Amino acid sequence: MTGDDGRLTLLAQRARRWLGYLGWHALCLPIALSCVFPLAWMASSSLKTQRTVFSDFRLIPASPQWSNYAEAWTRGHFGVYFFNSLGYTAAVVTCVVSLAALAAYAFSRFTFKGSGLLYRVILSTMLIPIPGAFVALYILLNQMGLIDQGGDTWLPRLGYVLPQINAGLPFGIFILKPFFDKIPKELEESAEVDGCGVLGVFWHIMLPLARPALGVIALLTSLSVWNEFLLAYLVFSRPGLMPLQRGLMAFQGTHLTQYALLSAGMVISILPIVVIYLLMQRNIIRGITAGALKG
Amino acid sequence: MSLLRARACLRVPAVPAFLVLILLAGCGKSPSATGSHPLRVWHWMTDREEAFDELAARYQQATSTPVRFELYAPSDVYAQKVRAAAQTEGLPEVYGILGELRDVGSFIQAGHVEPLEPYLSEGGGAWRAALFPKALAVNAFSRGNPYGVEPGAYGVPIDVMNIQIFYNKKLLAQLGVDPQTPPTTWEAFLQVAERAKAERLIGFVSGWAELWLLDCFAQNYAIHEMGMKRVEDTFAGKVPYTDPGWISVLRRFAELRDSGLLASGIVTMVNKQAEQLFANERAVFAFNGAWGVNVYRSMNPDLDYGIMMPPKTTSRPMVTWGGAGSSFFVNARSPRKAEAVAFLRWLTEEPQQRYLLETTQNIPANRAAASDLSPHLAAFADAMDATVHPRLFAVQEASPVIEAFDKGIQSILIGEATPEAVAQQVQEVKARETSRRAQLESAHGRP
Repeated sequence: MTGDDGRLTLLAQRARRWLGYLGWHALCLPIALSCVFPLAWMASSSLKTQRTVFSDFRLIPASPQWSNYAEAWTRGHFGVYFFNSLGYTAAVVTCVVSLAALAAYAFSRFTFKGSGLLYRVILSTMLIPIPGAFVALYILLNQMGLIDQGGDTWLPRLGYVLPQINAGLPFGIFILKPFFDKIPKELEESAEVDGCGVLGVFWHIMLPLARPALGVIALLTSLSVWNEFLLAYLVFSRPGLMPLQRGLMAFQGTHLTQYALLSAGMVISILPIVVIYLLMQRNIIRGITAGALKG
Repeated sequence: MSLLRARACLRVPAVPAFLVLILLAGCGKSPSATGSHPLRVWHWMTDREEAFDELAARYQQATSTPVRFELYAPSDVYAQKVRAAAQTEGLPEVYGILGELRDVGSFIQAGHVEPLEPYLSEGGGAWRAALFPKALAVNAFSRGNPYGVEPGAYGVPIDVMNIQIFYNKKLLAQLGVDPQTPPTTWEAFLQVAERAKAERLIGFVSGWAELWLLDCFAQNYAIHEMGMKRVEDTFAGKVPYTDPGWISVLRRFAELRDSGLLASGIVTMVNKQAEQLFANERAVFAFNGAWGVNVYRSMNPDLDYGIMMPPKTTSRPMVTWGGAGSSFFVNARSPRKAEAVAFLRWLTEEPQQRYLLETTQNIPANRAAASDLSPHLAAFADAMDATVHPRLFAVQEASPVIEAFDKGIQSILIGEATPEAVAQQVQEVKARETSRRAQLESAHGRP
C-alpha cells in the first residue's frame, strides 16, 4: 500500500465518520428543536403585549416588552410566592433524599420479617396520586390541625410539606434500592474494618456512590414540588403562604387570560429548575442511565 | 474511631431535621398572613383578585371589618376544596358554590347555607329590588322543589351574564352583509356560510368542546321551537326525545354542519381558542357570553363587533341562556353570618357594583349600576329579560341524559350520527334514568 492509498483510506474513513455524525445530527436536530421550540415561543410571548401575542408571530418581537417581567413579578406577588416555593422545595427535597436513602439502604442491606412485603406496600403507594385522595387528605390534615385556619403559619406549611414528602419517598426508595443492591459488600466490610458503624458506612461509602441516583431523585422531586399547586389550594387559605404556581393563576382567570404576563411568569418560574438541572446535569444523566441498566 | 462513629450517627438524621426546621421557620410570616380575623370569602375568579382586594380595603375603611378574598383556580379544584371544607365544617363566612342546583340544594340541606330570604325582604325588600330578578332567581328554590329545600333565595349574584352571538362588522361587510342588520333568521344566517367559504373566512366559532356551551345553544333552540312547557314535559318524562320537536332541534346542528359555517374541529375547540379566532378577526360569528366583551377588549381593543340574539327559526321570541354570573352564599354555621350578610349587601350596592363594572367589564347584578353601560354590555343587559337558565326550569333533567344529548350533538357535528339516531339514543338513556330514579324513590319510600 502506497502512502497515497493510505491517505485515501484515512480520508474515506473520516468521510464515513462525518457522514455518520451528519446523519445522527440530521435526525436529532429536529427532535431537539421540537423540544426547545415551545420554550422559545413562551419566552417570545413573554416579551409581547396581550394584543401582539395573537398578531405578531415573530420569534423576536418588534418591540420587546421587558416590563412584562417586572409586572408579572409584582402583580403575581412573586416576591412572596417565589421564596415560599424555594423553602417548600428545599424542605421536601432534603427530606425525601435523606429519608429515601436511609430507607433504601435498610431495605437493601437488612432483612427482617416482612421487609419484602413492606417494600412492596411502600412502592404501591406510588399508585395513589394526591388529587385522588383530596377529601380524605383534607380531613386528615384538618384533624391534625395542619390546615390553614388563620393562626400560626408554620403548621399549615408543615401540612403542605409532609404529604409531599410522603408522596416522594416511594419513588426515591424505588430508584435507590437497586443502586445499593449493586454496590459490592466488600466495600462495607473494608469500612467496618476501619471502624465505621452502620451509619458511618452509609454516610462515607454508600451515599457518595449513590450520588447520581440522589441527583435524579433531587431533580424529579424538585420539579414535582415546584410545579405543585393542588395541595397548596387544599391546605392554604392565606395568599401569603401559597407557592409560586398560585402567582401564575393571577394571570389565568376563568374567562380572561393575560397571555404575555402568564408567559413572563412561567419563564420566571422555570428558571430555578433549569439552574438545578444545569448544575446536576452530569449526575442526572449518569443516574438515569445507571438506573436503567440496574432496573 | 468511636468519635467518627458518633459524629456520623448524629449527622445523618440531624441534617434533614435541622434543614426542615430552618426552612419552615425561615419562611416566616408574610404581611398578608397576619392581622385580626378577617371575614373570609372564597371564590374561583382569580382574574378579579386586584378588584376584590381593592373592595376589601374599601370595606375595611368604611366599617373597620377586615375582609380577605381567597381565590382558587381552576374552578374544578375550587369545587373540590369547597366540598372538602364542607365535610370538615371548614367553610369560610362567604363562598361560592359551583355546580347544578342539586349541588346547591345538598349544601343547603347539610346546613352550610344561610337562607337570605329574610334579609332580602327587610325594609320592604329594597335589597331584592336593587338586583336583577332573574339573576337572583338562579340561586332560589321554588315551593315543591324536588330537593326538599325550603323555598326562597340562598345566594346573591355580583354580576349577571347571558350568551349571544358576537359578529365581526368588518368581516360581515366584506361578505356583502350590512353590519347594521345582521342575519336574524336561520336561513339568512346559513347563507353567510357560502360567502364566508368563498372569502376563506371561518364562519362560526364557539367552545363546543365544552359541553355546557353546546348545551346552551341547543336549549335556546329547544325552548324557541318547542316552548318551555314542552321542554319541561320532556324532562318530566311526558314527551320523548324522539318527538319531532327535538329532532328538529337536532337537525339545526346537521344544517350548521352541512352549510360549512362552522369552524373546522369545532367539537374539539375550547372557548379560549374560539375567542382567539374571533379576536384576531378570523371568524365572522362567535357564540360567547357577556364576559367576551372584556376578553376581546383585552386581546384586540380595535375589534369592531356587534352582538345579536341567536337567529330565529320560528316566529316565536328567541331566548338565550343566562342569569347570575357568579354568586356568593353565606355560611350558616359561621358565628359571623350577620357580618357576612352585611358585607354582601354592601358588595351589591351601586358604588361597589360600578367599580366592579369598570374593572372587570361584567354586567353588574345591581340594576342601577347597569343603567349606563357600554353599547356592547348594554346589548347583553337588554337581553336579560329573555334569558333562560336550567336552574329556573320547573323540572331538572338528569345529568346522564344531558350528557348523552350534548355528546349526540357533537356526533352530529362530525357526521357520525343522524339527528334521528341521536334522538333515539338519548331517549334510551332517559328511559334508563327514569327507571333508576323510580327504583331509588321506591327504595326510599318517596312518591
